[in-house]
Order: sequence, then structure tokens, then C-alpha cells
Amino acid sequence: MKIPPFTPIPAVQGEPSAGRGSLPAPVLAGGMISRRQIRAIMDRLASGTIKTGGIGIIICIIGMCVFLVKEVVPLFQSTHATPTEPISLSPPDRSFPAALVGIDEHQEVAYALRGELLEFIFLGETTSSTAKIPSQGLLPDGSVTALARALGKGHDLALGTADGRVIPVTIDFVQDFQGGERTISPSVTVGAPIVAAPTPHAISKMAYQKNESGGRIAALLDDDHLWLTTSETRSRPDGTAEASIIQADLTSFIPGRITALTLGSRAEILAVGTEEGHVYHLDVREPIQPVLLDTTQASERGQAITALAYLMGDRSLVVGSRSGQITVWMPVREHSKTNTTHMTLIHRFVSHPNAVTDITISQRDKGFMTTDATGEIRLHHSTSEQTLLVLTPQQGALRNTYFSPKADGLVSLSENNRLVHYDVQNPHPEITWGTLFSPVWYEGYDRPELVWQSSSGSDDFEAKFSLTPLIFGTIKGTFYAVLLAVPLAVLAAIYTAMFMHPDLRTKIKPTIEIMAALPTVVLGFLAGLWFAPVLERNFPAMTAMVLLIPLVTAGSAGLYLLLPASLRHRVRPGVEALLIMPIIVAVVWLCFETNAWWESFLFNGSYKPWLEAHLGLNYDQRNAIVVGMAMGFAIIPIIYSISEESLSNVPKNLIAGSLALGATRWQTLAHLVLISASPGIFSALMIGLGRAIGETMIVLMATGNTPIMDWSPFNGFRTLSANIAVEIPEAPHGGTLYRTLFLAGLLLFVATFLLNTLAELVRQRLRQKYSQF
Amino acid sequence: MKQWFKHIMASGELFIWGCGAGLSLSLLMIAGLLVLILINGFGYFWPADLVELTLKDGKHVIGQLAGEDLSPKGDRRIRMKIGNRDLYGLDFRWINGEQIVEQTKPVDLVMVERREWGNFYGRLRTLVKEDQTVAEGADAVWHALPSLLQDAYSSESESPYSMLVVDANGKEKSLTLSQVIRVFRPNDLSTLEKVWVYVGNVWTVLTTEPREANTEGGIFPAIFGTVMMVMIMSLIVTPFGVIGALYLREYARQGVIVRTVRIAVNNLAGVPSIVFGVFGLGFFVYGVGGTIDALWFSDRLPTPTFGTGGILWASLTLALLTVPVVIVSTEEGLSAVPREYREGSIGLGATKWETMWKVVLPTALPGILTGLILAMARAAGEVAPLMLTGVVKLAPALPIDGTWPFFHLDRKFMHLGFHIYDVGFQSPNVEAAKPMVYVTTLVLILVVVTLNLTGIILRNRMRRKYAGSTV
Repeated sequence: MKIPPFTPIPAVQGEPSAGRGSLPAPVLAGGMISRRQIRAIMDRLASGTIKTGGIGIIICIIGMCVFLVKEVVPLFQSTHATPTEPISLSPPDRSFPAALVGIDEHQEVAYALRGELLEFIFLGETTSSTAKIPSQGLLPDGSVTALARALGKGHDLALGTADGRVIPVTIDFVQDFQGGERTISPSVTVGAPIVAAPTPHAISKMAYQKNESGGRIAALLDDDHLWLTTSETRSRPDGTAEASIIQADLTSFIPGRITALTLGSRAEILAVGTEEGHVYHLDVREPIQPVLLDTTQASERGQAITALAYLMGDRSLVVGSRSGQITVWMPVREHSKTNTTHMTLIHRFVSHPNAVTDITISQRDKGFMTTDATGEIRLHHSTSEQTLLVLTPQQGALRNTYFSPKADGLVSLSENNRLVHYDVQNPHPEITWGTLFSPVWYEGYDRPELVWQSSSGSDDFEAKFSLTPLIFGTIKGTFYAVLLAVPLAVLAAIYTAMFMHPDLRTKIKPTIEIMAALPTVVLGFLAGLWFAPVLERNFPAMTAMVLLIPLVTAGSAGLYLLLPASLRHRVRPGVEALLIMPIIVAVVWLCFETNAWWESFLFNGSYKPWLEAHLGLNYDQRNAIVVGMAMGFAIIPIIYSISEESLSNVPKNLIAGSLALGATRWQTLAHLVLISASPGIFSALMIGLGRAIGETMIVLMATGNTPIMDWSPFNGFRTLSANIAVEIPEAPHGGTLYRTLFLAGLLLFVATFLLNTLAELVRQRLRQKYSQF
Repeated sequence: MKQWFKHIMASGELFIWGCGAGLSLSLLMIAGLLVLILINGFGYFWPADLVELTLKDGKHVIGQLAGEDLSPKGDRRIRMKIGNRDLYGLDFRWINGEQIVEQTKPVDLVMVERREWGNFYGRLRTLVKEDQTVAEGADAVWHALPSLLQDAYSSESESPYSMLVVDANGKEKSLTLSQVIRVFRPNDLSTLEKVWVYVGNVWTVLTTEPREANTEGGIFPAIFGTVMMVMIMSLIVTPFGVIGALYLREYARQGVIVRTVRIAVNNLAGVPSIVFGVFGLGFFVYGVGGTIDALWFSDRLPTPTFGTGGILWASLTLALLTVPVVIVSTEEGLSAVPREYREGSIGLGATKWETMWKVVLPTALPGILTGLILAMARAAGEVAPLMLTGVVKLAPALPIDGTWPFFHLDRKFMHLGFHIYDVGFQSPNVEAAKPMVYVTTLVLILVVVTLNLTGIILRNRMRRKYAGSTV
């Protein structure tokens, strides 16, 4: 701005105000304040309001940025666990080799199963209050030698006895709402015992899984035989039920001594770990004929496998070894063409100092907890390959740990019969900088990849939050837009500023400003529904246009110059753009009319197979060219306006000097004007880039919105902004997806803010430079 | 020749022509786009003639011509809008030129506008009142119809009359008059009558509710929603923008901080609108709205009242989006006020506020108005932030109605821009919806361009007026 800003002048000049106390204000009759005082008060009130308002607005702008950051920060906050007072349980009268703990989803009622003794502990009331449910009648005789918990939702437990039977026990937590109060009461259902093996031997280890029609057990007996038992109950038409048991001996499959067992949550796969560190992977869908899928050496230096568990979804297998090593394995296809898979080490976590004794999985995501022999509990997340938490609740070994159903707490039972409970705050375990920006090996993929796929139909889906494909899409869209917009806008700006007749100029500039005002939704609609099909039908003609228009322009300019000078001088200078217009229209029309000819001339008759064969590119109807056109259209006006401004602000005396020295219009432009205005054109480009980066509606409507990474101009992409628009309506408030989308918003904010600031600084410097002339 | 070439390169005329071509292309693109929208938008209202085609296989087709091009094999083919969605399932059909034996425009063809299934093209046959034939034959029915339709339109109850219509190949279809909006014979209309129908069509689109998943009927709720949202936004953005500009230019101490703030405000105008949408969703809808719900509407929870998108939140979000526009423009207006005005006012003993209120602001009014109008134009055209903060494809009720408290700022609303996106991209029958999208586009563009032109003209006038005094 040229004038110096208006400097504040003392509030009431020449008039002494009451506030200054130089003269006592005359008090009017009736105690009324003088007019002068009212005016002074008004003045101060107004300036107070304006200052508060102005500062308020500034705070608002900063606040917006702060708010975005505030919504994003929890993604990266570390996991916290708050312990509650440990509860001492009375020691059982006999000692049992195995114990299990668990807790309901609201973390109010915990249970501990030690041998045949099931005990419920109500955490909500006072920490010491416990209620015992005696489990007599559960077992007629014999002692419990092994316990197992079914992976997955619910509390399905199984007791293995010394005489080779398995007793299924299901614990349910019944919620009751009365008068706004929630009460949770546990209930226990004991199923009919299942004979696990034809020979009555004690069960030393087992894995158990329940389904609608029955259950499946993999039991290792103390005669070192491994039996797979499937019990099924079918209801017959007459109402009675028919129970059947199918048993298969798996011992022959596994040569080594078995040290760990686990059954997937759908009871379709079985993993067996041995003393030598081998993991055997069995397909047990056919109860009579189990199939050995794969054998893997899953621990270093042949350490024994001490714990196994399938993560939610039954694809990833967590392996814990005697040396404390924790790894996650997945079936990966060997070749892209075959379907045979073999278990591959995907994620490796920081080792425990001691043997891993227990793995408990999350029922919410791909998280799991591991416990080691010294009583250390660690919380991991498979996808993000991070260890979130390390806890040592007791000085001493822990018998069993359980990850609460909502993955927000854990309970653990120690050797000295103390129950420890932690509240875990772990809302976004799957997000790290790594999962957001670098390739991650997801379940079902052949290699680490950058994928955005936030949701799917199934519960056990592994969410893929890689922002890289979206950033790529944003850059790709911007690139194609700039490719069209920059040449056109800059050429147009040069012409308007330097060569155009002034009368025309006053009409052209508002027209282009109107173009800036066109809502992008209109451009998106035309691009998606009108231009995309037109381009698909007339692609050869469009290609021809790109080639022909520059040629024809050059040709017509040459012809014009060949005209006799007398004729040429009748035309006003600065109307070339109008003269060329009908020629361009004619070329465009001609190209459309001869589309078929161009197709045979340029592309051998059909362009889609030609592109496929020669360039290996697939043609999608809504592709990057369509977006580039529409988005280019959207940013032409802004690039044009700013470039034009900086070009026409080049001091006139410089130009006059150059022309006076004999340079032609073009030489003046190329050697003087362009060079001195180049910072302005640069800042126009930056601002145009900023617009293109954040453009939403055009991309949303004119591409297929598939988050793929491919530079090809003939397929679509998904940008950060379109991704927000597509996904945020479905994102639950405060969830991982919601915050990740906020992060995308923040990225856009920062990127455009930086670009614009850069542009603004460049422009200000340029203005200063020009003001010297 | 060589010399000539050298001369041309040196003079750079070629490049100048290249620059000119760049400008021409840009202008042609704008012009083409506007022409495309105008033709398609205005064409929608025109009652086109109905054409009856006789094909080689003896079948007849009735419909409106909707374009012509070459099939992939290179044959000429025409595209017909055949309507009768309930009978054929499609709205459009391609017919190869060589199949057509005859093309006529019989006068007795009728176009029946219905509440469901789109238009019916065919002939009238009989008029029935509760199984009793009242009129028989195309002309008799045609003459009996107008008064009956009037009755059916004004009465609440189901009309007892129904009419039997036949399609091109004699397939019969019975329509109760309550289903029928109007019947006319496009081929029988004179040009003047067609103009009259045209005007009527424009009026209908502007004032009625949408039908058939927004693909037919009017766009009144969308116009109303857009206008109301822009109004609320203006009420919020004007005081804040003006106060902000007054502070920055007149009250704050000029220095590095104010310069930085000014750059920040400028840059805020360049921040993508979707980011404002994200902010609006997080802050206004979930933050402020959630708090209001918890405090005053807790009896309705978990159904949110203000804790979900609504017209108030959308307006606030857009106000935030457009506040930089108002600030920048107002500042320009303020800086254009000649220094002498202020000095004169202060010299005469006015306080600073009085100088502002009585001298500076009135003089800067064109600047403020320009900013406001440009802000309104920007707000009217934005869609992305609205999608997150309260726009819906079909709002059950307008934000203003006769029930207390009359203004329902928590309600969701419809918007022209979103209507374009929704009808054009989310509707099940995009081909049939296209004309509606063009009409909506036309209305939106008219609104936005009018606003912008006003703003630009106002600004240019202001610049000219103070051009002398600012230097």
C-alpha cells in the first residue's frame, strides 16, 4: 500500500476529556453525563470492541490450526496403563497346573479359573469383595490337568482332565438395566464332557474352539499323542439331538516333542509348535482328514516354541519362543501365479528377556499381549510392528493374562494368587509414522505395500492407513492440472499484459475473473459427465488437436506476416488473439470431424488396443487427463491474474528504454519483462499449485477415486481432499479413521499455507524492488 | 526466404501469436463451457416435438430426438428419449438410421407428465370413471381432460377418473388422474404457446419440490437452502470481517506482527475448502454442537439435535472460509479512503470512532460491499465443506416453517451445488437425471456469476473513484 497507515491520534484532540483529568467535566443538571463524556466513552468502547474483535479473529485463525493439531495428536500418543489395587485370592486347597483369567467387556467382573475352581471377582464395588461360585458337580472325579480358552469373542473355556475328557465351560455376562443402573451378572454353562482320545490318558496340553454345532479340540496326551477331536450336535427332525464325535490322530504329522498348540477362531486351522522350534500348520476343516500345510523353522537357533496364537482373522500367527523371541508369521503366496502359500516371517518384535509363556489376542484389532516367565507383560500391535507397553505387575511369575474384550484393559493372575487389573488407554495402536508413510506388509499381500483401505465388510479386517497413495494422487492430479494451466495461463497473461490492445484488455480481464468464480462442482460435473465421454469417443481427435493447434498458429502467423505491409497495417495491433480465434475453432471442429481418420492414422484404427499394446496402459473413462483439464480450468484464472499483475507492474520506463534502444516487442519481453517479472510468475504458480492441491469436488467427480499409485494419464487416482470427502461421513467421531482424516486435512492446510506464504513473500519482495524505479 | 525466416524469429511475431493463441484458447474454453451449460440448461424447458418413427420391422417408436452421432461402426444413429420408464425400463434408446422407414409428427401424440416413472409418450384412448367409459377417442378425451385434471389437482382425495393411454405399439396403460400432473400435445402447439409452456416449465422448476429421487420436479428446496445459508453466513461474516479489517488497518500498531497477520489472513483464503469442512465438522458439529446437546437437549440424546450437521454449522464454516475475502476487500476499501477525509474529521473535533463511523466506513462502503458480495458468491458455489457440515440430498423440511421457533437452524438443508453432485453422480439413473443437473448448474451459475459481476463492477468503480486520491 502506498499511503502510510493512518496513525492513531489521541482520542479526542483539542478537547480535554474527563478521562485525562485536565479539566473537571461540567456536570449537568440531574446527574447526567456530559455529551463530551459520552463521546469519549463511546470512543473507548468502540476501540475496545474493535481491538477485541480483531485480536479475536487472529486467535480464531491460530485456533483453527491448533484445533486440527489437537485432533491429530492422540494418534501418536503413547499407550498408558493404570493399575488398580491387586486383589488377593484365597489359595486353592489343591495346586493345579493350569489357570485362566478373564474379564467382561465393561471391566467390572473378572473371573479366575484355577483347576476346577471358578471364582468371580467384582471389581466395581470394593476391591476386596469377591463372590465365589463353587464348582462342585463340574467334575465328578479326577483332577484337571489342562485348561484352554477359545480364541475370539466370548468366554469359551475348556477343562482337560486326567482321564482324557474335555469339559466345555461357557461364561456369559448378562447385562441388566434397571433405573439407569447397569448390573452385570455372570452365568456359567457347563457342557457335556467330550472324550478327547480313544485311550484314557491325561491331557497335558490342549487347544479348544467352540462353534454353533459343537466344538473342536486338539489335545496332547501324556502318552505324547496328539488327537484332533470334533464334536457335532445335529438336531434331528423329531426334536432330539444327535451327537457325533470324530477323532483323528495327528501324531504322525509332527515328529518333535510338542510344546505349544493353538486353534484358529473359526477352528479351521491348527498350529503346533515343537521343542526344536518348528511350527506345523494344519488345515483341519475336514475333521477326518487333516492336511499338513506347511512346516516352518520359526525360532532362531532351534529354540523351543513356547506359545502360539492366531491373531483376529486367523491369518497371522504369533509365535513366542523359549528365548523370549516374538514374531508374527503369515501365509504368503510363493509366486504370483500359483496359489500355494507358505508361512513367512512378517513382523518381528523386541524380544522378552525370558521364555514367552502366554499370548493373548485382542478381539478388536491386530494387537496381542505376551507374558514371559519372569512376569513381564508386553502389548504389541502386529500391523504397526510396535511394542506399545511393557508392564511388570508382580515380582514373580504370572500364570495367565487376558486382554479385555474392548482392548482397553487386562487382567493377570500371578503365581501367588493375586489378581492384577490394568486399565489400558490404547485408542490408536495401528498408527505410526511408518504405517502412514512407508510400505507395510499387510495380511494377504505378497510384499510390503502402500495401501489405503480404511474399511471392509468383515470385523477382522486389517485397516490400511497409508497416506502415501493419497499424497501421490494429490501430486499426480496437481501435475496434470499444472501441465495444462501453466502454459495457457502464462501465455495469456503475457499477451494481455504486453501486446494486447488496451480497449480489449478492459473487457478480457473481467471475463477471466468470472472464470475464477465458476463453482468447482460445475467443472467437476462437466468433466465427469460431459467431457469424460467426449474424450473417450474422440481421443484421437484430441491428440491431433494438441499437435495441430501450435502448428496452425505458427502457420497462420507466418501467412499473416507474408501479407503486404499495407494490408497488415490496417489491422490494429494487439488483436492477434481475436484473429486466431476462428482458426482455432476451425481446427477443433475439423479434428472432431476427422476423428476416425486420426484414429487410423495415429493409432492403427483403434486407440485403446494401441495404448495397451504399445505403452501398456489401460484407458479408464474418468482419468487424469479429464481431471487435469477440469482442474487446469479451475486454476487458469488465478495463475493468469497474478502473472498478469506482475507483468504489467514492470516499470514502464524500463520497457520504454528497451524499445527506444531498438529492441523489438518480443526482445523486450524475453530479455527484460519476463526476467524481472519471473518472481511474480513463480508466485502465481505457487498459488495455483495450492489451489490444485486442495481441490475436492473436481477430483471427486471426475476420477474413479481409486487409491492406486500409477503415473499413467489414462487412469484415476484418489487425492487427500477427495479421500476426506468420501470417508469422513462414515468415520466415527474420535476413531482412528477420523483422526487420520484430520491428519490429511492438516497436511493440506500446512502444504497450502507454506505455498501461499512463499508466494506472498516473493511478491512482496518484487513489489519492493519495483518501487525503487 | 532464409532472411525472411530470420527476420520473423528476431521480431518474435511468431511467439506473440503463440501467446495470443494461449489467450484465445482460454477464452474459447470459458465460452464453450458457458454455451454448453446455457444450451443444455435452457433447452430443458423447451417442449420439444414428439416424433413417431416407423422402423423396418414394422414397429413404431414415439419420443423426443435427443442427439445424433455415428455408431462405433460408422453408421448414423439417432438417440431418442422414449420415456415410459414403467413399460420399457429405459429412458433413452439408440436407433440406427438405416432402420427408420418413416419419421412423422402426428398431432394427436401426447406427453403425459406423471408423478412417478417419468413422462409417458403415446396416444390417449379412453377416459374412465369407476369402470364407466366417459369419453372415447383421442380428441374426445383430450377435450374432456383439462377440467378433470384441474379437479384432480385441487382435490385432496384420489380422483375417480382414470385414463387409458397407449404407447407407440398399442400397449395399453391405465393412469389415474391423481397420478397425472399435466397432459399436452407438443406437436399441436404454436410457437407462442410453446413459449408459454416454456415459461411455465421454468416457473415449475424454480418453485416446486423434487420428485423421483431428485431427477424430476423442481429444485425449490435447493434454491431456498442455498439462499438461506448464504444469508446466515453474510450476517456472521460482515461484522467480523469489518471489525477485523478495521483493527488491522486502523487500530493495530503497524509492524511485523500485523504484516504477518495480514499474510496469514491472505493465506487463509488459499486454504482448501475441505480443510474448513473438516474443521467445521470437528469443532462446530462435534465440539460446539455436542456441548449444546449435552447441556440443553440431553433429553433427546442419543439422537443429536445440534450435534449433527445443520444449516447453522454450515453457515458458520462458510463464514470462516470467506472472512479473509471480506477482510482483504474491506482493507482495500479503507486504504482507499483519502487521508484528508480523516484529517478533516479529526480536525473538526470528532473522536476516532466518530471519524470511523461517520466518515471512513461510509466512504469504504463499496469495498465492504464488494467483499461481502464476493464472499457470498464464493459461499454459494462451495460444496465440499457443506458435505461434511449439514447438506443432504433430500431434506424433509425447510429450515424455515410455521412451527415454533420458525427458524430451525439445526435442520439439514439442500444446496444447489450439492444437488449437482448428488443427482449427477449418486442417482441410480444418471442418463435420465442429466437434464436436471444442467438446469441446476444453470441456476447456480446464474446466481454466482450475477453476484460476482456485481462485486467486480462495484470494485472497479470504487478503484476508479479513488484512483486520484490514493496516490
